[in-house]
Amino acid sequence: MPPKHNSRRMDELLASVTEDLLEGDPQHFQDNSIRVERILLEMVRPDPVQPRRVLPEQLHLAFHSSRLTPTQALKELVHLVQVAARQRGRPFNNVLELLPNSDDETNDEQDTKLSPEEQLLRDLVNLAVTIRDDGQVNPLTVVDMSEGVTRQFRIETGERRYWATWLLRDFIPSYDGDGMIPCIIIPSDRSSVFRQAKENTARSGLSAIAMARQAALLLLTVHGYQIPDSAVPNDFYRQALELDLRGKREYTDTILTAMGGVEKAQFSRIKSLLKLSDESMELADRHNIEEFRLRHVVSVSTEYHAEILRQIIDFNLTAKQVKELCEGSDLHVDEENPSEKLPTVAVKMAKVTQSVSTLTAQDLARALMLQEADPAIARARLQALQKLIVEAERLLVSE
Amino acid sequence: MTRTFVLTNHKGGVGKSTSATTIALGIAGVLRRAGASNSRVLLIDTDSQGHATLVTTGRNDFGAEDSLYAVLAADRPNAAQVLSQCIVQSTWDPDLHVLPASPMLEGAERELMRVAGAPYRLADPLSRISSHYAAIVIDTRPSFSLMTEMGLIAATDAIVPVEPRYLETIGLMSVMSKINDIREGWRHPNLRISGILVTKMDKRVRGHNHLLDELKGHSVLGKLLIGVIPANEAVSYAHHNHVSVFNYDPKAPASRAYAQLVGTLVRRISKGGS
Ligand SMILES: Nc1ncnc2c1ncn2[C@@H]1O[C@H](COP(=O)(O)OP(=O)(O)OP(=O)(O)O)[C@@H](O)[C@H]1O
Ligand SMILES: [Mg+2]
Repeated sequence: MPPKHNSRRMDELLASVTEDLLEGDPQHFQDNSIRVERILLEMVRPDPVQPRRVLPEQLHLAFHSSRLTPTQALKELVHLVQVAARQRGRPFNNVLELLPNSDDETNDEQDTKLSPEEQLLRDLVNLAVTIRDDGQVNPLTVVDMSEGVTRQFRIETGERRYWATWLLRDFIPSYDGDGMIPCIIIPSDRSSVFRQAKENTARSGLSAIAMARQAALLLLTVHGYQIPDSAVPNDFYRQALELDLRGKREYTDTILTAMGGVEKAQFSRIKSLLKLSDESMELADRHNIEEFRLRHVVSVSTEYHAEILRQIIDFNLTAKQVKELCEGSDLHVDEENPSEKLPTVAVKMAKVTQSVSTLTAQDLARALMLQEADPAIARARLQALQKLIVEAERLLVSE
Repeated sequence: MTRTFVLTNHKGGVGKSTSATTIALGIAGVLRRAGASNSRVLLIDTDSQGHATLVTTGRNDFGAEDSLYAVLAADRPNAAQVLSQCIVQSTWDPDLHVLPASPMLEGAERELMRVAGAPYRLADPLSRISSHYAAIVIDTRPSFSLMTEMGLIAATDAIVPVEPRYLETIGLMSVMSKINDIREGWRHPNLRISGILVTKMDKRVRGHNHLLDELKGHSVLGKLLIGVIPANEAVSYAHHNHVSVFNYDPKAPASRAYAQLVGTLVRRISKGGS
């Protein structure tokens, strides 16, 4: 073997060649310009923490934990939609059948009843067919993540075009492309959550939940949190609930601009949506429920979130109705005792038992009448209470 | 378009593999030192003997699944992906990547002989990943076989290494006319003869000097002379130790000559000229 110091001398040899080359133009080889290139689909990966999600939650997680290839993920999506479509009496075999048929008059009516998954797949098929017919697609913006011999590009924007191109390649007959997709390549040291956020908020259709995740990402980033390169649970975003803009004044404007120019108050309302339970977040994201309908839900104890969300979706409740539903119920979180999962009323009732001695039956009867204005109802309330007390006592024994 | 150099000559032992590996390493090293945004170089070994693979990776156990063979066997839509998965990092330099050869390539040539589009089985997938590399260097086997044809079709620049013993004009002309055949026959106007590289030159041998002078004076061949590598023990010692001659002895005459050649090639890469 050669003596070790030779690798240093090899350095000198090649360095002298380099010097000759750079003579007169030291910057000659430094090209940090942003390139546009056609890249093999397999080398492009969606961003696992991208707030704007394309795939439904389950598929999103399975795909990003590498349990599904892109083709398999699409196959699952198609299958999901096939099952849903069959139930609605519109079975299909070929995804092209999803496209609206201009001869079919009944279509408009059906449009309104599409599930989010059906809508998604139909949009993707539509985009795929456009790509096929135009013979091109607008370039995605990708970040060069290549390392060693692995070539990898992470999508900053354009995930829908990515899925549509896969769909075209693997599910739509008559595709004769080369499996490549045009990309604007950004060097990894120039990737930016702010640019991604701006692109996201500039386009329509960003759900309130996606906005909340977006707000979280920006806050976490400016507070120096490491943003992982794999799919993250909602708890990751929820860390942002403890952070606010005040801690990072120098970034406030940048963040608010990146969020599409929202006011501070709106920003914190958007961020509060992270308090929603996992299931309700998914429902809200999938059904694109607006912030003004969701904001009341967060003040309610999390165990009720999903149910309220289902009602919002099923009955298409207005913001006012949601507010009434949330405020009129006994579902509120006990601010003082957040660790206890007990309904607030139960805790309040327990408190009341401590002060029964200071209470007269007369006062209680009058207060009840004042509240209910109807002796029959007041009586019913007391009887219900009686029953509750008897049962509670029985439970005390068995506890 | 990524400059793709193919080292070719149907004569054996003229220094194709030595030159291919050394040039590839040198280009990566020089580009990195120059601060280039991309200094990756891909070395493709199309010789079933796998000498270039062995010295640059320390391995000779590549087979049906993880070598150039897998790329040739893949169907068209998957070939580029298979290719990128077969590429390994050289032990010489992190920026030097290798698409390894395998003894199975011998059989591939027979298997593909009658398959339509066979000569493009390397060029086609390579064109879909080539932009990732600053330069590509292809080593070929000493024959005008299908495999070598594939290497030529995938290339932009042919470099013909030649020993001073074989400098007869006739022999060189036959290599060149073969390259020309490829260019015309396969409608591959991008392929050009980029240079003749004299290897194993021994100044003490009068015949060597004589032939070199003759080459320099030749109206066509003279202009193509791209470098002269002296015969140098360091080269064979380096070869046996699976290291590059640059690393084995940077001060050796062959190292300096190869470094100079690398400089010439990098200049071509960056200027995009001939
Ligand atoms: N400049 C040189 N000085 C001394 N020995 C050399 C020189 N160049 C190459 N050799 C030696 O010559 C032999 C053949 O070289 P190499 O393997 O590079 O040729 P090749 O053309 O690839 O051969 P093949 O046709 O068998 O693939 C090797 O042992 C190598 O070490
Ligand atoms: Mg060889």
